[in-house]
Order: sequence, then structure tokens, then C-alpha cells
Amino acid sequence: MTAASTPGATPAQAARINTRVLVMGLVIVVPLIAILVLNLGRDPHTVRSPLVGRPAPAFSLVPIGGGDPVSLESLRGRPVVINFWATWCVPCFQEHAALAAAARGLRDVRFLGVVYEDEEVRTQAFLQQRESAYPSLMDPEGKTAIAYGVFGVPETFFIDRAGRIVEKYVGPLERSTISELVARARSGGP
Amino acid sequence: MNAVALALLLALAAPPQRGASATGIGAPRGPPLSGAALDARTQEIGELLRCPVCQGLSVADSPSTMARNMKAQVREKLAAGYEQEQILSDFESSYGEFVRLQPTMRGVNWLVWFGPLAVLLGGGGIVAWALKRSRRDAGPGDATQTDPAARAHSDPPSRGALPDDPRLAAAVRRVRQLAYGWPDGVPPRAS
Repeated sequence: MTAASTPGATPAQAARINTRVLVMGLVIVVPLIAILVLNLGRDPHTVRSPLVGRPAPAFSLVPIGGGDPVSLESLRGRPVVINFWATWCVPCFQEHAALAAAARGLRDVRFLGVVYEDEEVRTQAFLQQRESAYPSLMDPEGKTAIAYGVFGVPETFFIDRAGRIVEKYVGPLERSTISELVARARSGGP
Repeated sequence: MNAVALALLLALAAPPQRGASATGIGAPRGPPLSGAALDARTQEIGELLRCPVCQGLSVADSPSTMARNMKAQVREKLAAGYEQEQILSDFESSYGEFVRLQPTMRGVNWLVWFGPLAVLLGGGGIVAWALKRSRRDAGPGDATQTDPAARAHSDPPSRGALPDDPRLAAAVRRVRQLAYGWPDGVPPRAS
């Protein structure tokens, strides 16, 4: 029957076209899926800081409650830990004890807090309640935070003796992590 | 007296602040801006900067403190005579290329700028090619026109057509008689 031979020819033709479409489709789709899969586990907000390995931006900021400005320049020759924090930031509470303990234990390292978008009165009250072991500096208009490329708080920078940023840590720090990163800041630089 | 005190205060306050924000930015390359031009350029550059604490908002659009502070810095730098590229690259040295809402034309970024255009042209080419091919296939002298099997497949049967099998043809006529009241595909009056 003539009708029977017709469907036989069509699938063969369809199969030929399908392979070509399939190959073209795969060429387009597979790289896109690969990009998707490779980036699935990545938080789009974690951007590697371009400052790591570069000289830390200079600053000269007045401590909470007044006093002489503290500049990064004046701390050259010692490893420095700079912690950006605020009283409205819960993870900052959590890490404060670890940072204070580290500051008391590691005498050769200079710890500094930089207040991020917060009021001086509130930070002062916070520190009075908690026995601070290191000075915190006010950062008017967030200039230092912007210079350090701060996305949020807490963020902590570990700086070696030569004033180069060795590591930027995002999130609340624990005592062990502080020791580890301070060791790297100590070994870096002259 | 006040002026002297102010000058002294400025001299003391200014250098560290400039040092904090302007490392590696160099000397201003353009004319210092003021007034309406300063406002307009601040807005324009703010639109090119991504607010670091927002979700896909520019510094110009974001009401956050961070964005306000960044806008103030842009303004300050424009007023000092820094050019757009100097200002953008200064923020880039802190935040990375992430801070630019318009990726620079270099390296893999060419793909972002011209990839869509290339895909559009490529897709248009494929569509044009497919159209041309299907028109050629439908043209005279084609296999579907000469091969009765292919023609039977592509042309639906007319209303009066009957199957080749005489017994099936008779059955079709009976069904038509029952359904329409006449055995042919068209009413008797019309034919």
C-alpha cells in the first residue's frame, strides 16, 4: 500500500534532522550547563578582595571617645589586625570575645576595631559593657571602609609588618582562625 | 582669627583623609566641577557603580548609607577634578571589578559586550538558511511533487476521494450516506 511506505520514509528524514539539531543544541546548551554547575556552590557576593597581597590603604582615625588619631603608618613594623564591626551586627558580638582574648594573648600584634556605620555613643556603651582589649576607631563617612572594600560586617584584615594585606576574613572569627591568620601575618613581610 | 583656626584644622584633617581614599589614583586629570555639572556627573558616575551592600542596585539608585558615602566620595573627587575613569578605577582597587556596573572592554568581558550580538547574528543566519532551504524544498521539480507516496503524505485527500480497496471504498460510501445523507464527498446539488 502506498500509504504504508510514506511513514517509513519520514522518520528516517526526521532522524537525520534531529541529530543535527541535537548536536547544535548540545553545543549551545552544554557550556551553559557547565557554567551553571561550576558556579552553583558559589555565593555571588563573595568577591575575592583585590587588596590581598597589596599595601593596606592608609588611614588616620580618631578612637571612640576622642584622643589622638591612630594611623596605620604609625603601626608599621608590627602585624596589624583590623576588624570592621558595628553594634547592630550580631556576629560581631560573637567574635568580640575571641578578638579581645587574642589581643590580650598576642602582645606583638596590634588589634584595631573600625566602626562601620554606627553611632559613637552606642559603640562606647557596648565597649564599656564588655571590657575591650584594643581601641576602636570612628570612620566618618565610611571612607576607610570603602577604601578597604568592605561589603558588610564583620570583616577582618590581617596586615603584615610591611603594611601589606595578607588576608581578608569575612564573617565572625574564632580564636583558632585568628591565631592561624596572625601567624601568616607574622611570617609575611620583612 | 577664625579663618586661621579653620585653615589649621583643614591642614590637619585633610591629608590623612585624602591618603585613605586616594591611594594610587594619581593627580586630577580634568577640570574641577561645581554646581549643576557636578550634580549631573555625580549622578552619572553613581549609575556606573554597584552598591556593594545591595542586590543589583547602583550607587545612584540605592538609599543605603554605604551608597550615600560612596556618592559623597564621587562628588568630592569630581569637585577636585578627577576624571570618571580615575574615580571608577579607584573604587575598583578596593572592591574589584565587581563594583563596575558596566564591565570594561577587556579580556573575557568582550563576550559580555558582543556575545549577545554574535548569538543574534548567528541565530538570524540559521533562521535565514532554514527558510531558504524550506522554500527550495517546496519549489517545483521537488521529490514531494513527483513521488506519489510523498505527495499522498503531504496532500490531504479531497472530500470526494475514496480508498483504493473497493471493499473499504464501499464502506466509506455507506458511512457517508448514513452521516450526511449522500454517498459522495460533496452534496448532490453542489456537484
